[in-house]
Amino acid sequence: MNRRDVLKSLAAAAALPALTASDLVAQTTDFTPAQIATLRALAEVVLPSSLGAGGRDDAVRRFVTWVRGYKPGADRGHGYGNSQLSAPTGPSPAARYPAQFDALDAAAKTRGGATFAALTLVARRAVVEAAMNDPQRVTQMPARPNGANLVADFMGLYFNGADARDVAYNAAIGRDTCRGVDDSDKAPRPLKAH
Amino acid sequence: MARYECDVLIVGGGITAAMVSEKLSELRPAWKIIVVEAGRRLFDFDKRFDYRQRNLDYGENQWPGDFVADQGGRGIISRSMAVGGSALHFGGVCNRFSEEDTRLRSLYGLAADWPIEWKDLEAHYCEAEKRIGVSGEPGPLKEDSRSQPYPMPPMTMTYNLIQLKSWAEKSGIPFWTTPQAKNTVDGYGGRSKCHRCNTCEVCPTGARYSPDWTYKQLLAKKKIELHDGTLVRKLVLDEHTPRVVAAQAVKEDGSDPNVEYRAKTFVVASGYCWSSHLLLLSANARFPNGLANTSDHVGRYMTGHLAHETRIDLDLKIYPGMNEQHSLISRQFFRCAPDKPFVRHDLRVWEAPSGGPRLRDANGTLLLGDDLIADWRTRIVRGSARVRGYFDVHPGKDSRLTLDPASKNKWGDPLPIIEHRIDAATEARQAATLQHFQDLFAQLAKANDGKVGRTSSLGYQDHPSGGCRMGSDPSTSVVNSVGRTHDHENLFVVGSPTQPTGGCTNATLTFVALALRSTSEIAKG
Repeated sequence: MNRRDVLKSLAAAAALPALTASDLVAQTTDFTPAQIATLRALAEVVLPSSLGAGGRDDAVRRFVTWVRGYKPGADRGHGYGNSQLSAPTGPSPAARYPAQFDALDAAAKTRGGATFAALTLVARRAVVEAAMNDPQRVTQMPARPNGANLVADFMGLYFNGADARDVAYNAAIGRDTCRGVDDSDKAPRPLKAH
Repeated sequence: MARYECDVLIVGGGITAAMVSEKLSELRPAWKIIVVEAGRRLFDFDKRFDYRQRNLDYGENQWPGDFVADQGGRGIISRSMAVGGSALHFGGVCNRFSEEDTRLRSLYGLAADWPIEWKDLEAHYCEAEKRIGVSGEPGPLKEDSRSQPYPMPPMTMTYNLIQLKSWAEKSGIPFWTTPQAKNTVDGYGGRSKCHRCNTCEVCPTGARYSPDWTYKQLLAKKKIELHDGTLVRKLVLDEHTPRVVAAQAVKEDGSDPNVEYRAKTFVVASGYCWSSHLLLLSANARFPNGLANTSDHVGRYMTGHLAHETRIDLDLKIYPGMNEQHSLISRQFFRCAPDKPFVRHDLRVWEAPSGGPRLRDANGTLLLGDDLIADWRTRIVRGSARVRGYFDVHPGKDSRLTLDPASKNKWGDPLPIIEHRIDAATEARQAATLQHFQDLFAQLAKANDGKVGRTSSLGYQDHPSGGCRMGSDPSTSVVNSVGRTHDHENLFVVGSPTQPTGGCTNATLTFVALALRSTSEIAKG
C-alpha cells in the first residue's frame, strides 16, 4: 500500500457527512422518528452544552449507527495472554430499548408532557435522574451499550469515546483518528468553539 | 491423501517462520520450501480499516478468525493461530536483550548461560532489524553499543513523551524511546509510513510490521509454498536412523485427514507452545518420550518474564491518546553488579489518562452534561504516567509443558498444559525485587511532585519462551546453539522455544535474531 492508497483509505474512513434530521431518520431502521426525537432531547440533557445542536446530532447519529451496526455472535478473539477465546458478542441491546423509550414517555406524561421530547429541559433532567435511580441505581456508564439502561448506554457511548476526551481536555487529541506523526511533538490544538 | 516433497519443511507460520523462509529462499534459491500453518492466511489487508473500526466500536476481533477453535490448552497459551501468528497482534516493540542475558551463570551463578557469543547475537539483531524494519534511536549507555545503525530514524516523540522524558530524567535515570517495527519513512519493506492510528495491534496502514507482508512477498515471487489450514500432527522417523523423514498432517477443514510431507530438513517454528507439543506428540517406540527428547528436556524450562507496574500522578499537562503504544525505556537496570542483590529489568514509561468520565461523583451524585465534564476536568489537571518494569525471572526444570490426556482436539491429539514455575533462587528474591521497584517508583515520583499509586504485579509470564532450550550439553538441552536437535541431525527448532531464559524486555526481536542465526546453519543442508 503506497502513501496515496493510505491517504485515500484514511479519507474514506474519516468521512462523516453532514447530518440533517431527515437523514437521521432515513438511515434508521431500528429507531422510530419518535425515538430519534427522544434521543435528541436526551442529548440536550446529558451531553456537554459546548457540543451545540450539531455536535449533539452527531452523538445521536453515532448511537443509532452503533446500534444498527451491532452484530450478535461476532468473534471477539482472545485477550492478550489469555488462553481462552472470548465469548462472542451477545444479543443486540436494541430489543431492550423500546420499553425504555416508552418508560421515558410515560414518565413525561406524569409531568404533564405528551412525550419526553416535549418536556422542558428541567423536567427532562428530572425524568433522566429518575431513570438512573429506578428500578435500579445506575452507578457506571457501560464501556459499550448493553441494553440495561438506555440513558447510561447513550452516555457511555459518547463519554467513553475520543470526542468526549477531546472536550474534557479542550484539545484536538483525536485518539482514534489516523493523524500522522509529523506534528505530534506539539501539544494538540485547542478545540474550536461551536 | 496429498503427498508433498520439498527440501525444507517449515512447521508453523509465525514471525520466525517468515524470517527463516525469507532468508533461506535467498541463501538457497533453488530449494523448494514449504511452510505449513494450522491457521488461516489473513491476507485481507484492504479490510483492515474496517476490522480496526469494528474493534474500536464493538470490541470485535481485529484479526477475525485468527485461531483454530479446538487448538487450545491450559496455561499461558496464545490463541493466535494464523499465518503471521502472535506477531499479527504485537505492538511492534523491538527491544534487544543484553549480554547479561546470555551470561547469567557465569556472571551471577544463576540459571544457564546461552551457548552464543554476544557479538554473534548482536550481528543477528542487526539483521532482524533490517528484515522487519525497525525504527529507533541508539541508547546512551556504552553497554548497548550497536555495530550498525537502526534501519530507520526513530518515531517522533509525542508532546506527551517529551514532557514525560523531561520529568523522568530528573530522577537521574536516562530514558529514550523504544525501538519499534514501525515505518518512519514511506516505502520501507513496501509499507507505508506510520499514520499514528493508535491501534498498533491492528495497523490499518501497514506501517507496523506483521509477517503477512513477508509471506505475501515470498508467494508473489514464488519463493515458497504456503499450506495454511494444515495441522502437522506428527513427525516420523526413518526406520533405521534418527533422521526425520516425514510430517503427517491434516487439513483443518476435514478435506484431507492424511497429508504427508517428505523433506530433507524439518524446521519446527511453531512458537514456545506448539513446538514442544509437536515433539511430544511425535513419540515412537525408539523415542518414547517424544522426538529430540532423549534428555527429557522437551517442554521443560518454560520461561518468560514478570512485571511490576504503577501509575504516577504528576504535575504535568498530558493529553492521553496522542500515541499510547509508544513509550520511553531505560536499560540502565539491565545490568546488575555481581556483588549486589540480583535484580535486572527494563523500565518503561507511557502516557496515561489520570482520570476518566464518571457517572457519579464521590458523594454518589449523578453527573450529567456539563457537570460530568467539569468533574472530569478536576481530575485531569495533573498528568499521569504508567510505569512498568519487566524483570528477569528464571525457570525451574519443572516449569513445564506436558500433554493433557483429558483434553483432546478433534483429531484425538492431547492438548498442552503449561505450568510456569520459577526456580528457587528467583522465588527467594521476589520480596526484594518488589521492594526495589517500589523504591524506584518513589524515586521517579519524587522527581516532580509526583504521587505513586498502587503497585500491581503481572499475574503471568509475558513473552513466553523455552521448552526446547539450547545448550552445548545434550543431557541438559534439546538443541544446540543453532537450533539443531541433539537427537536428529535434520530436525531444527527455531526461535522462542530455544531460549534458556526469558530476558527482561520484549522478546520478539530476540526470537527472530535466533531464528535467523539458525537459518544460516539450515542452509548448509
